[in-house]
Amino acid sequence: MTQILDLKPVRKIAGAGDSAFRVRMGRMFGLLKRLASNPTTLIGMIVIGLMLAMAIFAPWITEANSPDPYQMPRDWGAVRKPPGTPGHWLGTTNEGGDVLYGIVWGSRTSLQLSLIVVSSTMVIGTIVGSIAGLVGGWVDEVLMRIVDVFLSIPELIFALAIAAILGPSFGNIIFALTVVLWVKYARIMRAQVLLIKNNDYVDAARVIGDTKLNIYLRDILPNSLTPITVQATLDMGNVVLIGATLSFIGLSEAGIAEWGVLVSEGQAGIASGRWWASTFPGMLIFLWALAFNLLGDGLRDALDPRTEGR
Amino acid sequence: MQLRDYILRRLLVLPLLIIGVSIVVFTLTRVGGSPIGIYLSHEMTPLEVAEIKARFNMDKPVWVQYLYWVRGIFHGDFGWSGVAAAPVSEVFPKKLAATLELAFSAGMVALFLGISLGTYAGARLNRLPDHITRIVSVSGASLPNFWFGILLLIIFWASLGIAPIGRSDALIFASIAHPTGLYTVDSLLAGNLTAFWDAIWHLILPAITLGFGATAIIARMMRSALVEELQQDYVDAARAKGLAERIVLKRHARRNALVPTVTVIGLTFGFLLQGTITVEIIYRWPGLGRWMADSVLRGDQATLMTYVLFTSVLFLLVNLIVDVVYASLDRRVTLGK
Repeated sequence: MTQILDLKPVRKIAGAGDSAFRVRMGRMFGLLKRLASNPTTLIGMIVIGLMLAMAIFAPWITEANSPDPYQMPRDWGAVRKPPGTPGHWLGTTNEGGDVLYGIVWGSRTSLQLSLIVVSSTMVIGTIVGSIAGLVGGWVDEVLMRIVDVFLSIPELIFALAIAAILGPSFGNIIFALTVVLWVKYARIMRAQVLLIKNNDYVDAARVIGDTKLNIYLRDILPNSLTPITVQATLDMGNVVLIGATLSFIGLSEAGIAEWGVLVSEGQAGIASGRWWASTFPGMLIFLWALAFNLLGDGLRDALDPRTEGR
Repeated sequence: MQLRDYILRRLLVLPLLIIGVSIVVFTLTRVGGSPIGIYLSHEMTPLEVAEIKARFNMDKPVWVQYLYWVRGIFHGDFGWSGVAAAPVSEVFPKKLAATLELAFSAGMVALFLGISLGTYAGARLNRLPDHITRIVSVSGASLPNFWFGILLLIIFWASLGIAPIGRSDALIFASIAHPTGLYTVDSLLAGNLTAFWDAIWHLILPAITLGFGATAIIARMMRSALVEELQQDYVDAARAKGLAERIVLKRHARRNALVPTVTVIGLTFGFLLQGTITVEIIYRWPGLGRWMADSVLRGDQATLMTYVLFTSVLFLLVNLIVDVVYASLDRRVTLGK
């Protein structure tokens, strides 16, 4: 290791006089630049940006259905129209639902689903994992055995069972996915806490008399956020994939503007050559999951140099 | 830790995990309301209701009810399936055979394609085949298999009319005996090539649909493992002594790269198991997955419980086997603490 003799000029990111805010912004900017330099990650970010724009501007793209915009409008005068029909540019389903409307408002449904599930599982998992790692002993043992049991049931099947017991509704899908997915974060967080707890800087903080809570909040938590963030990014896509699968099977309310429901609705028409009602919404599920997977991979490479080139 | 101790420890933990899963499953059904609801009606007197409750042990504490349920399972009593209109234990093996046949074929597709794709890409690092494989493997993890299946059906079934739907041609299926329940095996046992061809013909599309995700996972792992192996000294040594590149790749590097790839096979197994639900719906495959989906929609709790319990135990067993195989293949793996 002759790193010390390496006198290459280091690009300045932050200097002594900079405020903490500026340092953070500088780091953020550096991370973004690194992410954007990887073409596949950039593609992922662009697709995510477009999807978010579609979700935000949904009422301006297609007029909201009243009273409930998340319910598909039914145009019984225009059932089974192919793509290119004026007013229904991506065609309609067997029940006269506009495919474009379903796609646009479905992006909001998916965004809601992924944001709620990912944020709640992240919080629950982080808390449980932290407690297990910090307290240790029998508390750790009990919590981790519960995690093991949860991980023994295949994700989709577990979520399907919970949603089925609670009855078909989109809210129940959200709940079911939350119950199933928090364990991953608990496991990651526990491992991180155990790893960081024994570092010298944590010992140093303890020696100068820092409180336990303060050590946790200032040293342990911020330093374990990297793998949690990567997992959360991957889950943003994963959650929509599983959620759409559950909807496809029939666990959402009928007629809700959701991509999986639309694919299921369109399935009946393919025998008679009506390919569009399944193809377009399914493509959106695929793109959504793909974009977050690409970003998640890029994030992992950017934040953890060890995995580079894999 | 010795390999023997490791296996022993895992075997001791296994029953505990299974008990844990059974408690979760039991809790789920109790959350979903009383399982004897279907036997009750408003016209019954309180006495009659109490009688029914006593008959199904619903008047006992919850943990006693749990024990009754477990005892039933040990006696082969998994309850009554409303969807199949038969006891769960009677229908389950038949459906399982159909699902296993599908999952096994998909697994074969995934192993073969995954290993060859991964090898091909890993040997051509950062060139076009590598990039294509990377795109395939990233999209494989993001592809909703129900959508992929529908796309294949739109092309090969609805438009071209060359692919069939379902598991078999009803007439051919009825013409042979079914001792194992696996259509391909049964047709070979009967020596009926028409039936065998029919079985394969019906298997191709569902197996590809189901196997695609697993292919992606295996290809990705195989590629990165091979890239790592190719940087090892023994590869240089093999090249230096003048072995053909093909031999170096296949006999030396690939053989070692297969070891870490074993670990993801457990993962892909979960993928295949879960995937059967949607794939069976799309292709009208008469297996466990479609039965489960029907049961979910029609509130058939007995089937649901059995299915979750069964898949979890299977999942645990496969992962145990994979871990043990991996540990015994690679002596560098550290076991436990």
